[in-house]
Amino acid sequence: MIREEIQSKILEIFREEVEIEKPGLDDDLREMYEFDSIDALELLGEIEKLLGTGLTQDEKKQAMDIRTINQICDYVESLEKEKL
Amino acid sequence: MERRVVITGAASITPIGHRKNEITDSLLKGVSGVARLREDNLLSRHIHSKVFGTVGYDIEYDFARKYRKTMGPVSYYACQVAKEAIAMAELDKDILASGCVGVAFGSTHGSPTVQRDIYKQFFNAAESGLSSIGAVDYLKSMVHTTAVNITKMFEITGRVISSSTACTTSSQSIGFGYEFIKYGMQDAMICGGADEYDTTAVAVFDNLLACSTDFNDTPHLTPRPFDRKRDGLVVGEGAGAVVLESYEFAKKRGADILAEIIGFSCNNNGGDLILPNVNGVTQAIRLGLQNAKIIPEEVDFVSAHATATKMGDIVEAQAIHRVYGDRPYVTGLKSYMGHTMASCGVIETIITLYMMEQGIIAPTLNLDEVDKRCAMIRHTMKLYETPIRVAAVQNFAFGGVNTSLIIRKFE
Repeated sequence: MIREEIQSKILEIFREEVEIEKPGLDDDLREMYEFDSIDALELLGEIEKLLGTGLTQDEKKQAMDIRTINQICDYVESLEKEKL
Repeated sequence: MERRVVITGAASITPIGHRKNEITDSLLKGVSGVARLREDNLLSRHIHSKVFGTVGYDIEYDFARKYRKTMGPVSYYACQVAKEAIAMAELDKDILASGCVGVAFGSTHGSPTVQRDIYKQFFNAAESGLSSIGAVDYLKSMVHTTAVNITKMFEITGRVISSSTACTTSSQSIGFGYEFIKYGMQDAMICGGADEYDTTAVAVFDNLLACSTDFNDTPHLTPRPFDRKRDGLVVGEGAGAVVLESYEFAKKRGADILAEIIGFSCNNNGGDLILPNVNGVTQAIRLGLQNAKIIPEEVDFVSAHATATKMGDIVEAQAIHRVYGDRPYVTGLKSYMGHTMASCGVIETIITLYMMEQGIIAPTLNLDEVDKRCAMIRHTMKLYETPIRVAAVQNFAFGGVNTSLIIRKFE
């Protein structure tokens, strides 16, 4: 997937599943939208579906410091490169 | 220090209605909330009992996602009744978050719907590569999910206890809440129980030959507590919450007081985990009266556990007779809605409050011909307009747990 596709999918997940409509790409999700560890776990499940493969414990741990949509896109991009 | 404990809020979701007027209307008209068991594509086709105490109406939930994300169906029920009871009691945010308010709330085993989904994922090879079973599913399904979703939604910081003793879950919750307040550990408690639509519970009782099967085509005619033709219990769903407060706390706030809890008992039969025990039940009833410091003659109404099983109803009638003789009216409220499991104690308490307030005693539905072995007590065979000053709500559970709550009209 190209970056724009990943970003579009992530924003769709945020709109449909997390019920955050239009977060800014560099907004701090925790501070501005109360995005918490439970949301993060659910997002990881969605990312697994997006990539069509499960994530390892280490890969999940890497995601726990992510704060913004751009960082999520970076994370998915790097996973995609590793997995493919 | 022993403080008086009063009820200042009450709300329930039952198979015979949601709001007070709907529930009392069903009582007055003798409307049953028992319906055909729904097809679940798993267990229902193997179950002989085809009836269920069903909440057959929509509930308009208004929970933000930050709350919904940790809630299974059972917590939707729990949070809704808690929300309504808290609103009725007019407990504000500052009081709820002050640490002087706690929660005593439970369910039979969390959310079986979510648990079922978890197992489906476990055993579905196609999805086994995705680790989507995680903390969120656990939070939705765990046995104390109702209690902690209530604390989260209302930012309650006091004590939390989540009883999970099947049919005595919510009567224990009320009783433990009562004791916390009585002995000064909390000023107020949100107490109750909930259980969602669950065919697993039906399957369990069905396997024990304890479920009603003779009225599959006429669900409204079962269960039949104390009736000669009773053939077992009907599993149901529902939820209820009451707000308990110390009398001084309620008075200081200017809260409307619905009734007073004056006694509670809880004991165990100390033996068989399934069979009812007349000595254990009798002792629970006596301990409740002792705790309330009243004599049996002061009790006007007994809300019997009365599940309509062959043996349970006889044992309960014997125990009631041993303690009360044939003086108080006795009604089996499960006749209207089936056995709502973890919520039955609180729902029966709330219905007793409604009857106390309106000066009525509803009859046991479907009690057409009293079983001679249950005939020694004063069954409520028709609707009476008569005051209830003191009522006893008794519940018994698998595992030999017995409870009795004693409630007095507030004067």
